[in-house]
Amino acid sequence: MIELEGIEKTYVAGSVETRVLKGISFRIEAGEFVAIMGASGTGKSTLMNVLGCLDKPTAGHYRLEGTDMVNLDDDALSHLRNHKIGFVFQLFHLLDRATALRNVMLPLIYADQYPEDAKERGEKALAAVGLSDRMTYRPNQLSGGQQQRVAIARALITNPAILLADEPTGNLDSRSGAEVMAIFQRLHRDGRTIMLVTHDRAVAEHANRVIVLKDGIVAEDQPVARPRDAEAEARALAEKEAGQ
Amino acid sequence: MKILRIAREGMQALGANKLRTFFMMAGTIIGIAALTVIMAVGKGTEKKVMKRVNAFGTHAIMITAGGAKGFSPPQEGITTLRLEDAEAVRTQIGGVDVIGPFAVKRGMSIKAGANQVQTTVMAVGPDWHDAWEWYAADGDPITAEDNSTMARVCLLGTLSASDLFGSQNPIGEDIQIGNVRFKVKGILELRGTSPTGEEFNRRLVIPLTTGLRRLFNQDYITNIRVKVKDSGKIESVAEEIRQLLHERHHITPPKEDDFAIFSAADIAKMARGISGTLTYLLGALAGLSLLVGGVVLMNILLISVGERTKEIGLRRALGATRQDVFMQFLTESLAVTISGMVLGSVLGWAVSIVLARVTQFPVVISWEPFALALAFALVVGVFFGVQPARRAARLKPVEALR
Repeated sequence: MIELEGIEKTYVAGSVETRVLKGISFRIEAGEFVAIMGASGTGKSTLMNVLGCLDKPTAGHYRLEGTDMVNLDDDALSHLRNHKIGFVFQLFHLLDRATALRNVMLPLIYADQYPEDAKERGEKALAAVGLSDRMTYRPNQLSGGQQQRVAIARALITNPAILLADEPTGNLDSRSGAEVMAIFQRLHRDGRTIMLVTHDRAVAEHANRVIVLKDGIVAEDQPVARPRDAEAEARALAEKEAGQ
Repeated sequence: MKILRIAREGMQALGANKLRTFFMMAGTIIGIAALTVIMAVGKGTEKKVMKRVNAFGTHAIMITAGGAKGFSPPQEGITTLRLEDAEAVRTQIGGVDVIGPFAVKRGMSIKAGANQVQTTVMAVGPDWHDAWEWYAADGDPITAEDNSTMARVCLLGTLSASDLFGSQNPIGEDIQIGNVRFKVKGILELRGTSPTGEEFNRRLVIPLTTGLRRLFNQDYITNIRVKVKDSGKIESVAEEIRQLLHERHHITPPKEDDFAIFSAADIAKMARGISGTLTYLLGALAGLSLLVGGVVLMNILLISVGERTKEIGLRRALGATRQDVFMQFLTESLAVTISGMVLGSVLGWAVSIVLARVTQFPVVISWEPFALALAFALVVGVFFGVQPARRAARLKPVEALR
């Protein structure tokens, strides 16, 4: 389903070459929930950009559902991002001037075929993240957790092959973070393929498999025996808040 | 359509920052408004010119006794313009169709019963009707026989007829011009005003011989009306006549002419007056506004691209191609100039109407300025929008999202 083979990335600044990724290979099957972990400077973000087809590797192959993105041009990569990848960013990246619903519908603008039921799909996606009553709100009228849930709905609207989340809880308080992780776990139970990039082991352990990067190579790739239960954590945090 | 969805995204961006959008529009608004006024004034002027020229006669040249500078009535006491001059023009100048020599006297007192008016009397030869293309609407024209017999007959202008006779039919009635009794034999066709604004329909027409010998007591004429065959050659014919009369009157510069020649072309120039200058000024304003407005538009869009780097990165991540991003910024630019064009047209239209009311400037509102304005809006929008749009499209998604 997803296959990385000897992915390398080298940045050249003047006469200085920096090898950020030094040959990364792994396979992810459909329906897996994988966390990619690493401290900053380990090539985590660079790998994330490659996985998201935002940047091409210097060497190696990356096959997404059989298509090797290394051979694709810019237009084809845009197309691939549009219908195979759902992004969730640390800083949410919502359009301030658009309502939650319009933000969620944004990827459909760039689809080959604009679905006739675009609005219904947007409403359904927002309902799936529990924001049915916030559809006409603008980002500045929503809490951070709500904004990130809008972003998740946006990532789901094109029904992508993988969901790619980059530090999705990095800008949230612990309760909102737990709620967002609970949504990812639910999506995983529903059969979604999810890749989560984080520096935080506690966050990574919500996934079923953790790949640890160190110095541009895969240092560790292991299943998580007992993933943490985000929903229970969120509930506990809510009770604690109520008790105070 | 994808392009429409993308255009809508651009519109939303513009709607989100209305003040900035207005600044982007300002140049287009002023430029298009100026353009609209130019066209309205230009069209109005042409209409006025055509009206004047048609009233004067499109094929007409008027030779007037006296070296008048502007178009004016013949100078009193100039006796050098003679019937022989008219004859010379008839026989020696090519391109002439009809010659109508006449003598005109202003302020003649006319009486009919108890009614009295002061008006201009024209003593005319038999060809005068053809030369002016001005005929009898009722009754009979001045004929060659009237001239050879020095008949005391006259034609009245429609206003003279109503001034003197009210609603009564004047044909066959007697009137008194000065001390001489004339019989009314016809009514002249309705005609506009002279180039100097004199009412043509108050005039009175009598035979040339009768006028010269019985009424004015003079052996010279005051005007020669010439009708040319080809209106396109009117200026060259006028020049030939000028040279002929110079010879005949023994005039060499620096001696001043004792006659003046006006053609339909001169009338047109006169009627255009200052509107030509106004057109140039407004044209310069329009061009400058569109240029400056375009540069401002481009710069604000460039700034906007810089500020919206994250938005562009996001759109690229969500699947927008370079072309999609390019089109969004280009449609933003076009939306600004097209909206500016609509507002500018309305403004120009309003200014034109006020101009027409306040000054006596002739103004015609038509669809052409709107079409031209739209063309300008598209050109400015594309020309100044391409650069920012290209810059936005070239942003790399990875760097834009950082």
